[in-house]
Amino acid sequence: MAAAAKQIQLLARQLFKLSVVDGVVSPDRVAGVLQYIEKSAPAHSVLALKAYRRLIATELAKCEALVEHAGAVTAPALGAIATSMTKKYGRTITTTTRANPKLLAGLRVRVGDDIYESSVSSQLATLSVSV
Amino acid sequence: MSLLLATTDASSKLHALQTQFGIEGKYLLMQVISFSILAFVLYRFFFKPVLATVDDRTRKIDAGLKYAEEMKAQLASTQQQTEAALKEAQQKAQVIVAEAQKASKEFSDKQQKEAIERSASLIAKAQEAIELEKKKMLAEARTEIARLVVATTERVLAKKLTDADRAGYNESAARELAGV
Repeated sequence: MAAAAKQIQLLARQLFKLSVVDGVVSPDRVAGVLQYIEKSAPAHSVLALKAYRRLIATELAKCEALVEHAGAVTAPALGAIATSMTKKYGRTITTTTRANPKLLAGLRVRVGDDIYESSVSSQLATLSVSV
Repeated sequence: MSLLLATTDASSKLHALQTQFGIEGKYLLMQVISFSILAFVLYRFFFKPVLATVDDRTRKIDAGLKYAEEMKAQLASTQQQTEAALKEAQQKAQVIVAEAQKASKEFSDKQQKEAIERSASLIAKAQEAIELEKKKMLAEARTEIARLVVATTERVLAKKLTDADRAGYNESAARELAGV
């Protein structure tokens, strides 16, 4: 059982390495990997695909900056944030936006497990803790 | 001559006396012998046992007196020993009583000291608990006040902030985050 799980993780990591080109997940490589699995149907293919999907999702999350905002945010501002994050992490970071009225005003940027925030709600929370 | 005459005179007087009182030498000798026999018999069969009995009783009386004296001396000695023992026992009893009183006083002092220490500790703990409770209440009150202030501020800002205000704040936040 443990040996099978280890084998599945090893296969998923190998497929993931094949899917990354220059530190970026390549859609073409991913399509090729999926075709290979569909044709060859290795043992425990479903479990291997789940592990592969988790690795790809983690890698894509590392390359994506989720920008939560309250109020309008301009494209140049998003571009500046993407540029800054790309420079900081050393890989291409793209931005996606999502409205979050709880912020009241300001932005919250999430890259992987890292969170950067400059919002009214965070300042109020800081004020509440410091009192 | 005169001496011879005097001796003859004395002898005649003695003869006259014997004749006058009827003293016969042979009777006198027989009486002496019978008296000696009587004296011997009396001594042998009467006085000797009586004297032995008297001596025995005398010895017994002496022994009794001696025993009484010894008993008296022993009684006196016993009384002295008893008095000494009583005196010693009294002294020991006094020592024991004194030690008991001392131990009782020490125990009482120790108990009193421990009670004072316990009460002081309880008072200190109570004061500490009161202080902690006070600090806790103040902290809770401060936290609650801060929460109310923040909640009120959020509500006010949510109503009062315009889209332009939010856009301006977002631009500022973007510049801040881009400079991270």
